[in-house]
Amino acid sequence: MREMIKMVLVLTVITAVSGGILSVLKTSTEERIEGQILKFQKAPAIADIFDTATNDPLKDRFKILFEDEEITFFPGKLEDGSKAVAFEAKGGGFGGDVGLMVGIDLESDKIIKARVTTHSETPGIGSRIKDDPAAFLSQFAGMGFDSNFKTKNDGGDIDALSGATVTSKGVCIAAAQVKQLYLKLKPQILNKMK
Amino acid sequence: MDLILLAIGCIFVNNILLAQFLGNCPFLGTSNKMETAVGMSMAVVFVLVMAGVISWMVDHYLLKTLDIEYLRTVSFILVIASLVQFVEMFLKKSIPALYAGLGIFLPLITTNCAVMGVCLINIKEEYTFVQVLVSSFSYAVGFGLALIIFAGLRERINIARVPKPLQDTSIGLITAGILSLSFFAFKGMV
Amino acid sequence: MAQSIAKEFTKGLWTEIAPFRIVLGLCPILAVTKTVENGIGMGLATTFVLVFSNFFVSLFRNIIPAKVRIPCFIVIIATFVTIVELLMQAYTYPLFLKLGIFIPLIVVNCIVLGRAEAFASKNAPHLSIADGLGMGIGFTLSLAVLSAVREVLGTGAITFYETPIVLFGPAFEPFTFMVEAPGAFVCLGLLLCFMNLIPKK
Repeated sequence: MREMIKMVLVLTVITAVSGGILSVLKTSTEERIEGQILKFQKAPAIADIFDTATNDPLKDRFKILFEDEEITFFPGKLEDGSKAVAFEAKGGGFGGDVGLMVGIDLESDKIIKARVTTHSETPGIGSRIKDDPAAFLSQFAGMGFDSNFKTKNDGGDIDALSGATVTSKGVCIAAAQVKQLYLKLKPQILNKMK
Repeated sequence: MDLILLAIGCIFVNNILLAQFLGNCPFLGTSNKMETAVGMSMAVVFVLVMAGVISWMVDHYLLKTLDIEYLRTVSFILVIASLVQFVEMFLKKSIPALYAGLGIFLPLITTNCAVMGVCLINIKEEYTFVQVLVSSFSYAVGFGLALIIFAGLRERINIARVPKPLQDTSIGLITAGILSLSFFAFKGMV
Repeated sequence: MAQSIAKEFTKGLWTEIAPFRIVLGLCPILAVTKTVENGIGMGLATTFVLVFSNFFVSLFRNIIPAKVRIPCFIVIIATFVTIVELLMQAYTYPLFLKLGIFIPLIVVNCIVLGRAEAFASKNAPHLSIADGLGMGIGFTLSLAVLSAVREVLGTGAITFYETPIVLFGPAFEPFTFMVEAPGAFVCLGLLLCFMNLIPKK
């Protein structure tokens, strides 16, 4: 019986101490982690999309709750005076989800630029989608939301990147998601950006 | 329909052993004989389905509601370790015949990263309860399938003349590579 | 004493180097060796966990009852794995993203639990640290070698911090096979074969 108590006691104490240490560490790193996510995942894509922004889209970001999910929007005020917004959606590629950040002009409802944020595609093949925007992503620029975001093989308007069809499809799924979200949430976005 | 696709994806396309590299230690360790491979596969199917479901419930009802998701690693491994212990005691008492078959493989499963890996993948992919059930079972079937095919190949290799430095694990890994190449053909299918 | 520390440290570097001499920890070595950067990052994370878990297991080895030792070891290991996970998230975020679920999976890396059970639970703390450090660095070296072979042959270059060092000119056609799953198995199998050709002593 004493042995039993000791066993339970030791295990409980170790688990409790471990939980305590971890919760302290968690609270002390929380802010930094959120900063890192913005810095490494979103910032490069946003800087690329809003290269003529006069504001700081990262700082001005706001969130909208949609079907239990918080979506972060990055507003951009561009040099020529037009207003735009960028946000991210995901689609399944060859090695996992591909994150696509899309910048949209709020007046013309046209895509300014699209950039890949995160992916785990094959280096040298699927990864070209992010590393070489001119090869694939540039075709999204200027497209409106009447376009069909599917690859041409599937009857859509997008030319797939040769050798990386599955990755291209993943990006198209993300783009279609952006379209759907934008059409549904546009009034709320405009409201928040006033 | 989606569930069937999910199952095919988990068994073939994302085969836990050959495409995701999880559970490779028992893969090479227990594949020398067909008999042990079958025993290990059964034990994995049994534990993985239970671990997948229980870890999902722990994550969903405990960690997420209390907002302590950073304790996921600690709690999942505890769930798996105690589950394995519990299954072992239960089988020993109630179904001795099954225990005799699975017995020695059960303790090995605690450190089988396929089990922990699938639990984490289930959470990462944000599966629902039914999807977790299907994916855990299919991943386990995929594990068993690859292990049993591989054990068959290895039984043949054991009687072949292999150059000395290549013997055992070395040739085993190269064979696994070729087997993985054939599973690779499923990529992009789902 | 210094001699025995040195002995425990160096055995992990050659005579018992994982996974070439003792076949343990295969999952991470296959999965994260697409690039040298990932390989070394994973190796260092594992080393950190090994050293600290070995130290604490050894420190408490006389208090922990034998029957619950495995769960206790696992909790200690899992704690340090979570610490690594949080620290990597906060300070080396890009690497954290690339290694993905393989960081939490250090918990079930057989090397870590294996050393806790086989060495740290029977030896004094200073020796356990030496053992953990040696094993960890050995493991990192293995990961570095395998990932170097795979990355160089698979892409023709080595990439550090987003800057590729091109080793072969444009005439080189990369063996994409090497960076994919099957290549990992074949490459490790061949490296094991080379290790077998070199005698232990």
